[in-house]
Amino acid sequence: MAALSVHQFAQCITCHAWSPDHSMVAFCPNNNEVHIYKLLEEKWEKIHVLQKHDQIVSGIDWSIRSNKIVTVSHDRNSYVWSKETTEWVPTLVILRLNRAALCVQWSPKENKFAVGSGAKTVCICYYEQENNWWVSKLIRKRHDSSVTSVAWHPNNIFLATTSTDGKCRVFSTFIKGVDTRDSTGSSSDSKFGEQIMQLDLSLSWAFGMKWSPSGNTLAYVGHNSMIYFVDDVGPSPSAQNVAFRDLPLRDVLFISERMLIGVGFDCNPMIFIADEIGLWSFLRFLDERKTASASAKYGSQFSETFGKFYGQSKYGTSNDTLESSRTRGGAHENCITSIVSLKKVGDASATSFSTSGLDGKIVIWDLQKQQDLEEFL
Amino acid sequence: MANSLRLYLTCIRNTLEAAMCLQNFPCQEVERHNKPEVELKTSPELLLNPVLICRNEAEKCLIETSINSLRISLKVKQADELENILTKKFLRFLSMRAEAFQVLRRKPVQGYDISFLITNYHCEEMQKHKLIDFIVQFMEDIDKEISELKLSVNTRGRIVATEFLKQFI
Repeated sequence: MAALSVHQFAQCITCHAWSPDHSMVAFCPNNNEVHIYKLLEEKWEKIHVLQKHDQIVSGIDWSIRSNKIVTVSHDRNSYVWSKETTEWVPTLVILRLNRAALCVQWSPKENKFAVGSGAKTVCICYYEQENNWWVSKLIRKRHDSSVTSVAWHPNNIFLATTSTDGKCRVFSTFIKGVDTRDSTGSSSDSKFGEQIMQLDLSLSWAFGMKWSPSGNTLAYVGHNSMIYFVDDVGPSPSAQNVAFRDLPLRDVLFISERMLIGVGFDCNPMIFIADEIGLWSFLRFLDERKTASASAKYGSQFSETFGKFYGQSKYGTSNDTLESSRTRGGAHENCITSIVSLKKVGDASATSFSTSGLDGKIVIWDLQKQQDLEEFL
Repeated sequence: MANSLRLYLTCIRNTLEAAMCLQNFPCQEVERHNKPEVELKTSPELLLNPVLICRNEAEKCLIETSINSLRISLKVKQADELENILTKKFLRFLSMRAEAFQVLRRKPVQGYDISFLITNYHCEEMQKHKLIDFIVQFMEDIDKEISELKLSVNTRGRIVATEFLKQFI
């Protein structure tokens, strides 16, 4: 089985992130707190609770080299937490947002991070030494709806965003004094906030998005059960649309240049692969699914349904319906909302990753022992 | 169960299965708010096309979806005046106890008899397939319940009339 371990941490998890050595995990249990658990003697123990936000935390990212945690929340604020001896100390980020912040990601060099927001803007935040706080530069008036996801290109300059207007955009985020000219390579002439590309492929909302390890391919998902692969990002991009028959995805992760994992409402990670000429297609589900036989017993009167409703829907005990929906036998029982790579510092690619979802579980997966996937790793 | 009812319910079940892909989504218009978009309808891009499933003219089901909420409105079959009044009274009884049902809307959408409102919070704390089962079970039971009520009203009417007329014998 591909799932290495399953941990039930909370009732519901909105997002999670791993410490650089993967010994600690930070997640939001669907409220205003961030819990940090550590693996102590084969058991996960809660060692820290980060309390500063006053609404649900929507994004967490843990930087690999500088060991800082950035959190964003629906309360419009963001904090950067750094560890000082035993405590995590927050630093306020001046986001200048008037709506909820929805997603966050550290740039590859970890000198900036990007925050997508419900104010239809993207904030690029960087540290200002003289004032000892993080300031932000906004990319305004480019998005027509909430920004649902952000992803950094490995060159530390390009930032891709998806939003609920169904579009995917790529911006340049060159900031004077933070970035140096030579790091941008061929695209050194772009200014801050310049739009490199806009893709109008999806007819519905666009969500999770990632760059491939080399930065050549960009993948994002639409709510119409489609996944889009974009090559040659620039003035003349080429795109591939892959439709699949199952429920829409929420997030994606590149395992290698030729393999991508998508997670979403189907509660089971999906594997997409590229063949020799670079055509992407759906391969299979990662988790094997046990098919449970639907019980065919006739239901009862209202008074009974009335009482049963709590017990049934909340805890999923017996069901007496005529034709019950398929029950899920996989590792996750509810929508998977995030997928995080378990890549070690210095590794070119990682074969293991973790997923978390609305069922409150964090599942660690490994692709090493899957024979049919070996050639794509 | 009649064959056409089975098809009707299967169609609704499959539509709900696809429509119930909800997520937490804060309001774009009002600061620090988080409201069901299907009720507010402030941002058209956050709404999906509504789906109307009809069994016949009298029985239909409207499913409206948005990014963080889903509204299901039902029109129940009412063949005659007695059924009409029974449906009205019965569904009013349920609507008044809406908080016990959690997903029931206090007031039906105009043109329908009863409405459910499912938000992302319901999907977080309850299992999706059980929610769908509940809605389908509800639709299955409501016709049965109404015809049972109708029968008992008729029976009671007959008994009362018999008792009343006994005194004239």
